[in-house]
Amino acid sequence: MSDEIRRLSEELARDPSSLVFLQLGEALRRAGQLDLGLKVAHRGLERHAHNADAHDLLARIRVDRGELQEAFDEWDMVLRLAPSHVGARKGMGYVLFKQGKLAEAESHLSMAATHDRGDSSIATALRMVRRLLRYARTAGNGHGAPGHDELVAAQRRVEEEARQLFADILGEGEHTALLLNADGLVAAGLYVTAEGEDVSQEVGAALTGVRDEALRAVRHLDLGAWCAVVYETDLATVALAPALDESMVLVAASHTIPLGFVRRVLDRCVQRATSWLEEVA
Amino acid sequence: MSASPFESVLSSLIRQRGVLGCLVVGEADGIVVDSNVQVGIQSNVVAALAAALYRKARLCSAAAGLSTVGFLQLEAERGHICAIGRDGLVLVTLAEPRAHIGRIRGAMLDSVSVLA
Repeated sequence: MSDEIRRLSEELARDPSSLVFLQLGEALRRAGQLDLGLKVAHRGLERHAHNADAHDLLARIRVDRGELQEAFDEWDMVLRLAPSHVGARKGMGYVLFKQGKLAEAESHLSMAATHDRGDSSIATALRMVRRLLRYARTAGNGHGAPGHDELVAAQRRVEEEARQLFADILGEGEHTALLLNADGLVAAGLYVTAEGEDVSQEVGAALTGVRDEALRAVRHLDLGAWCAVVYETDLATVALAPALDESMVLVAASHTIPLGFVRRVLDRCVQRATSWLEEVA
Repeated sequence: MSASPFESVLSSLIRQRGVLGCLVVGEADGIVVDSNVQVGIQSNVVAALAAALYRKARLCSAAAGLSTVGFLQLEAERGHICAIGRDGLVLVTLAEPRAHIGRIRGAMLDSVSVLA
C-alpha cells in the first residue's frame, strides 16, 4: 500500500463522512486496485448520493474494469447533477467511441472541448473521432450512419495514413519521424530499427521526458515557447519540436547526416503534422 | 588558490556573440562548478535546469537505445541553451536568439576535453 493510500485511508477512517473518499478512490484506481476503489466509491456515494464527482469517480473505475455501459450510465447521472461536467462529457465520448457510435461520441467530445479548450487530450480525441467519422461516411458513400464494415475501413485508412504521414519527406534516407501526442503515444509515423523492429512506442515514450524537461527550462528561464530540442548521440541526431495540441514531432537521423539537414526535415515534418491534424479541426 | 581549469574555456565562450553566460555544472546535482555569466543571469537556476535537461536527454536516449548524448541545443523564442557533457560534468551556454549557434557549438565541441 502506498503512503498516499495509507494516509487517505486513515483520514477517511477518522471522518467517514468526509469527501476524502474521492481522493482515496482515485488513488486506488491509479494504483490498479479497482475492486477496493469500487468499494470506496460505493460507500462514499451512500453518504453523498448527489455528489457529481463521486459518480464521476465510480464511472472512471467502471471504465477501467471494462464495464463500459455501467460507466456510461454513471456519467449520465453526473450530467443530471452537473450539466457542464467536462469529465463526464469526455468519458461518455470515450465509451461511445469504443462502442463505434462515432457521431454521438463527436457530439459529447465537442461539448467537452467547448467547456475546456485547454485540455489537449479532448482535442486529440475529437480530431480522431472526426477523422474516423469522415472516412467511415466516405466508405459508406454518405448513406445513413456508418456500419461496422465502414468503421473498420475507416480505422484501416487512418492507420495507413498515420503510418505514411512523413514517408515522402523522409524518402529512402537514413532518418525516421514520429508524431507523438501529449501523453507520448504515437499518433503517426514509424520508428523502425536497422533490424526491422518497430520500436515507435518505446522511443516515443522514452523521449517525451526530454520535452517535459525543456518545457520546465523555458518556463523558469522566461525564454518563451520552446521551438526545438536537437541533440547528437554516437548513433543518431535527435530533433524534437512542438506541434498542435501539445503534440510533438520527433525526427531521428543517422549521425552522418548534417545537423542543418535534420533541422530542415524536422521543420517540414512539423508542417505536415500540423496540416494533418488541422484537416479535422 | 589556483585558477579553475575551466577559466580559459569559459572566458573564450562568453566572448561569442549573443552569449549571456556559460557554466560548468555537475550533471547529477545541477550545482555550478565554475561560471562566467553576465550581470542579471541567475547562474544557479540556469545550471540546475540545463543539467536536468541534459541528464534527461542522456537517460531517455539510453532508454531508446540511441547511445551517448553529445551536444544538445534547446531553442526557444527568447534564447538558446546549449550543453555538452562528459564524465558527470556539463558545459552549458545560455545565449540570446541572435547568437551564432554554429560557432558556439564548434567552440563547445572543441572545449569538451576540459571536462575530462
